[in-house]
Amino acid sequence: MDLGLSGKKALVVGGARGIGFAVAEILAREGCDVAITARSEDSVKDAVANLRKYGTNVIGSLVNVMKADEYKAWLEGIIAELGGCDILVPITSAGGGVGSEKYWTRAFEVDVMGPVRAVEAVLPGMTERGGGSIVLIATTSAKEAMGGPQPYNAMKASLITWGKQLGLAHGKDGIRVNIVSPGPVEFEGGNWDMIKGTMEKFYNGLIRQQPTGRFGTPEEIARAIVFLASPAASWCNGSHLVVDGGFTNCTHF
Amino acid sequence: MDVKRHVDIIRVNPDDWPDGTPAHKAPDPDLGHALIPAARYTSADFMKLEWDRMWSKLWLLGGRSDDLKEAGDYICTDIGRESVLIVRQADGSVRAFHNVCLHRGNKLRPEGTGHADNFQCMYHHWEYDHAGVIVRIPDLDTFPQGGPPCGRIPEVKAGEWGGFVWFSLNPDAPPLMDYLDPIPQHLDPYHFERMAWKRDITIEWDCNWKASVDAFNESYHVQGIHPQLKWYLDDINIQYDCYERHSRYLIPFATVSPRVVLPSAIPPAIYEIMVKAGMDPADYDGRVSDIRRDVQKFMRANGKARGRDYSELNDDQLTDDYHYTIFPNVQLNCHADDLMLFRQRPHPTDPDKMLYDLWMFELVPEGEEWPERPKRLYFKHGDKSIGQVLDQDAFNLPTVQKGMHSSAFEGLWIGDQEIRIRHFHKVLNDYIYGHNGPGEGDI
Repeated sequence: MDLGLSGKKALVVGGARGIGFAVAEILAREGCDVAITARSEDSVKDAVANLRKYGTNVIGSLVNVMKADEYKAWLEGIIAELGGCDILVPITSAGGGVGSEKYWTRAFEVDVMGPVRAVEAVLPGMTERGGGSIVLIATTSAKEAMGGPQPYNAMKASLITWGKQLGLAHGKDGIRVNIVSPGPVEFEGGNWDMIKGTMEKFYNGLIRQQPTGRFGTPEEIARAIVFLASPAASWCNGSHLVVDGGFTNCTHF
Repeated sequence: MDVKRHVDIIRVNPDDWPDGTPAHKAPDPDLGHALIPAARYTSADFMKLEWDRMWSKLWLLGGRSDDLKEAGDYICTDIGRESVLIVRQADGSVRAFHNVCLHRGNKLRPEGTGHADNFQCMYHHWEYDHAGVIVRIPDLDTFPQGGPPCGRIPEVKAGEWGGFVWFSLNPDAPPLMDYLDPIPQHLDPYHFERMAWKRDITIEWDCNWKASVDAFNESYHVQGIHPQLKWYLDDINIQYDCYERHSRYLIPFATVSPRVVLPSAIPPAIYEIMVKAGMDPADYDGRVSDIRRDVQKFMRANGKARGRDYSELNDDQLTDDYHYTIFPNVQLNCHADDLMLFRQRPHPTDPDKMLYDLWMFELVPEGEEWPERPKRLYFKHGDKSIGQVLDQDAFNLPTVQKGMHSSAFEGLWIGDQEIRIRHFHKVLNDYIYGHNGPGEGDI
């Protein structure tokens, strides 16, 4: 099956590590020009160098998503540099945290307004060209309790609602919006890698809940994201896809 | 080394802190690569040599000065088969004497702390004053030979430094401060006397006392038995310094080991460090690799307002573990706000056992009430938890000791990360065999 990605221009907000990097890598391998960002200069540089091996145009630079003006200017600049944007995957996250009101602010700024501002930056261009695809990243923690009542879980949940309604609103312009909710994903340097090292019992308890006895890999999530992002998923709009190896208990009617 | 990343740890420039703890790296001693004989950990003969030539010769840690507030307050502590009473005198000094009644040999007091107007033996009520001088023998007229002519229990040398009391069974011991050198210069800036008892625990471990000292003299085992600490400290960029008999290493805390990939979320234990320093991790915008330096800056800026005077400590000391070994058996994990001290004592008769004293102290912020002293706990390994990290150490040591008896195990195969173990055994060698080292047939 040809995904139809060759020649597309893709923006992955947060593509230097983990799921974001895996998304950027598959996109580049499939022939997309790709733009990425991250919190640190070194990791952006390394990731860009790594992604260039597939021969497409890969660019990237540093931005702090928490700083609205800086972030908006960066979006405008990078989209221009990329030569437009056919595919958007905004995946930056402030992560979890409980016990302080500030975690709400952070989750709102990074997990909600991060995607919102990116979507607003790409929509005019996509509308003008009569097409585009956006994949928002939520989490299984939006559906099932994980780590206590966290801003992260609640804020991520809002993307599922917003994503569906975005798809409804912009379908007429050929723009599709879908949402992927990954279950726990493990990779070197990721949260679950650290939790395995620092809270072994908690980690093992969750591993026992996974039907296959392991967590997902970034690639396994990225393949689902890239499929939804690609023209091959032309009839998927407003879909919410849980990709968790069967981790969640509920039935996704 | 097996690392995932290259990490340049920011360290203070020692020249910027001329009056504080010397932070310069000491030249690495050339101590060779020989095996350290396993028999030293198992042999009753070697244990006797240790007693005769070391334990009975040098200065040993007895307890805390703040347990001796008033005249008559005492600490009773055992070492080997000996037991010592260390007592605060009316003139403010400390004196010590053997904890034994000259009448029939009964011990005057059990191990621990307390107060005595006079030390009365429980058996026949012979009484001794704060210096161990006999003050009353009931029915003295029934002893035709009179009382013991010396009139007192033999004295033990005693002294104080750093909020601690020290003693020596050797009447010819050098002055305490000479023995401790250069430790006082290094550790006075911490002001341990401003710290209060937090935990006072003695645990019987099934290993030789040196196996325990060795365990805390290297951090090579972090990747082995403390994997969780890789998200808490840098076990690669450690500065090792060996002095005449004592040694130290400086371990960066509040940072992530180069052995693992840097996470984007704040590791739980580093989160706790930030909270303890008064920072709000929810408000932290930097990268995980910046936290150590930012904690230092925050503590420097806010210490005074929080009643904590860090003025004599350099920035590294605000986060890092300055870990000292005072030969032979005292190890101090020195931190700006607390001290975790281990005193390791040989079992009186069995080289396969030891007593592990875990003493923890916490800085009492200015203006805050001095907390009540915790009761001393005494138990056997496995009866209770002493915290995740130390449990991991304690769990491991009995199997180390068993392995020391294996006919296939000749001795310890020591690497560069274990230079302090080699140095410790060099100093031990010097005490046991003199500077020429062991001869033919010696262990």
